Amino acid sequence: MSTDTGPTASGQVVEQEVGHVDSALGAPLTVAVQRGELTQFVGFARTNRPFIVGLVIVAISIFLMAVGPLIGTRNPTTEDFNAILSGPTGAHWFGTDQNGRDVFSRVLAAPRIDVYIALVSTFFAMALGIPLGVLATGASRLGELAGEWLLRAMDVIQAFPVFILALALVAAFGPSALNVIIALTILQFPVFLRLTRGAALAARGRTYVEAGRLSGAGTLSVMFRHVLPNSIAPALVGASVAVAQAILITAGLSFVGAGIRPPTPEWGSMISDGAQSLITGQWWPSVFPGVALGVVVLGYALVGDGLRLYLDPSRRR
Amino acid sequence: MRVFWYTARRLLYVIPQVIGISLVTFVVVRLLPSNPAYALAGPAATQETIDTIEKRLGLNQPIWVQYGKYVRDLAHGDLGSSFVSGRSVLSDIGQRLPATLELLVLGLFFAFLIGVPLGVLSALGRGRRIAGRASLGYGLLAGAIPDFWLGLILVYVLYTKLKVAPAPLGQLSPSVPTPRHVTGAVALDALITGNWVAFKSALGHLVLPLITLVFVYMAPIVKYTRSSVEDVYYGSEFIQQYRVNGLSHRAIVMRALRNGLPPVITIVGVLFGFLLGGLVLIEQVFAWGGFGQYAVQAITNSDFSAVEGFVVVAAIFNLIVYLIVDLLYFVVDPRLRAGVT
Repeated sequence: MSTDTGPTASGQVVEQEVGHVDSALGAPLTVAVQRGELTQFVGFARTNRPFIVGLVIVAISIFLMAVGPLIGTRNPTTEDFNAILSGPTGAHWFGTDQNGRDVFSRVLAAPRIDVYIALVSTFFAMALGIPLGVLATGASRLGELAGEWLLRAMDVIQAFPVFILALALVAAFGPSALNVIIALTILQFPVFLRLTRGAALAARGRTYVEAGRLSGAGTLSVMFRHVLPNSIAPALVGASVAVAQAILITAGLSFVGAGIRPPTPEWGSMISDGAQSLITGQWWPSVFPGVALGVVVLGYALVGDGLRLYLDPSRRR
Repeated sequence: MRVFWYTARRLLYVIPQVIGISLVTFVVVRLLPSNPAYALAGPAATQETIDTIEKRLGLNQPIWVQYGKYVRDLAHGDLGSSFVSGRSVLSDIGQRLPATLELLVLGLFFAFLIGVPLGVLSALGRGRRIAGRASLGYGLLAGAIPDFWLGLILVYVLYTKLKVAPAPLGQLSPSVPTPRHVTGAVALDALITGNWVAFKSALGHLVLPLITLVFVYMAPIVKYTRSSVEDVYYGSEFIQQYRVNGLSHRAIVMRALRNGLPPVITIVGVLFGFLLGGLVLIEQVFAWGGFGQYAVQAITNSDFSAVEGFVVVAAIFNLIVYLIVDLLYFVVDPRLRAGVT
């Protein structure tokens, strides 16, 4: 990525990204950007309230992932047989489940599993999908053939209905957090591969890539030093949506007993655990984890929407 | 003629995909941790019995021989037999699929019927600013709420508290005998055979799963209709031409809708494929006894052939749906028929 260091309108020296516009002569033309990237971003965020709400939710979810199991009022896995299915009270804010476990503490502890699985699997999917997406543009003749095959393989993976493949993979590896991560990674890396490939194909024809090639850089060097940094944006936007999707799939898998199993606090299995009590009238063991799940997924979706809007100003309305 | 060649080319493309699907399915299922021979033989079996069973199932042969046999059987429509039910997987699936399809087809039908007008309204209706915001908010909400949780909440409110909905225990009340088998879809069979008691009960049991399905999965239909119709309406010259020619607003909107329909058809197809398996969560909540629940049972029992059969059938179904979607494009987009792209 070519960057330019210079004074901004506010007088500060900020490293800023420069928009690439190809001039008629084919030489890269530097567009003067009035404000630094960061200032611009803050300005955008300030006027976009849903985006801020999303950021706050995401921050809280990550905070809970770090310390959630420690800050609840009770131990999330301790069973208290004197307080089975007690409603929300001062002692148990969200009530207790059918094993007498404190629902509030369990709801707070669950991001340690749900958010962690989603973030790690999305990270792996990106780490795998983005470089492969750049390679799949096929700069050499051999690369072209390999890229073609890679895309056909992605077609096959994506021909499977998402949830079924997740279910089959987790069943094959056995239900555990690590295996859910592996399944989600396999499921989601084709998405990042496609997103990156699309952008890389567009970036490949740009002048600065041409310049890199003409200055004698090797194919791989051009791909990873010039093409990749300039085709990463769609994948970054997709990441937020992928995390939301991963949280929903993790909870769904656990709901049917194929993901994380009790007593480990996890939203999907908590909802499943509470389903029987819900039908007989004790709503709290299922309702609270569902609300938490929905709010967190909403947060990541809002951030994804905001980022898309920020990177594609033509859609701002 | 053009349609014919297009279809032929499109079908040709399906072949490598089916091979890929069979390969992936085979590999994934062979990864299942437990040995079906042990499960079949029972805990008290001797090594000898297990060996015999392994031989009978062909599990002692090299993996590529097993794959060859698997593909050969698959080509003959033989998905093996489930060792839990003792019946052929194909007939098991044939028995379970209608329940899922009934729910799925009705759900997407209503989602389309309600979602498309909502999308048009929020794009071009009189109160489109407010409607647009509302549809945006609804889309975010529907995307974040887990379908299985919404189903449970509906059960709690409408069955447990208000007692207006039937218990979430399948497609019929336990006191109502199942209607004579025609298609396997209970409500449809009851209708065909004129069994009004069963029909009423089946409809009652359909309501809650349908509301769940429509609320969560109508959102993408609304969103795509809205943006597509908006693009056509504000971005096409022929719309301006119509206006200059003095067509009524209503007539123009109808034409914009027709031209904006292709992406909506695609998203309905994608939803159909996704939900064929994704419906398992809603099925689980309402004890629907459909295709998805069959898969969950098969997976918990490590029922090799059943899992294999389920995944293959679902993936092939997916391919067929995409094929139909592509062909529908021909119907709604005259440019494709004329060969202008």
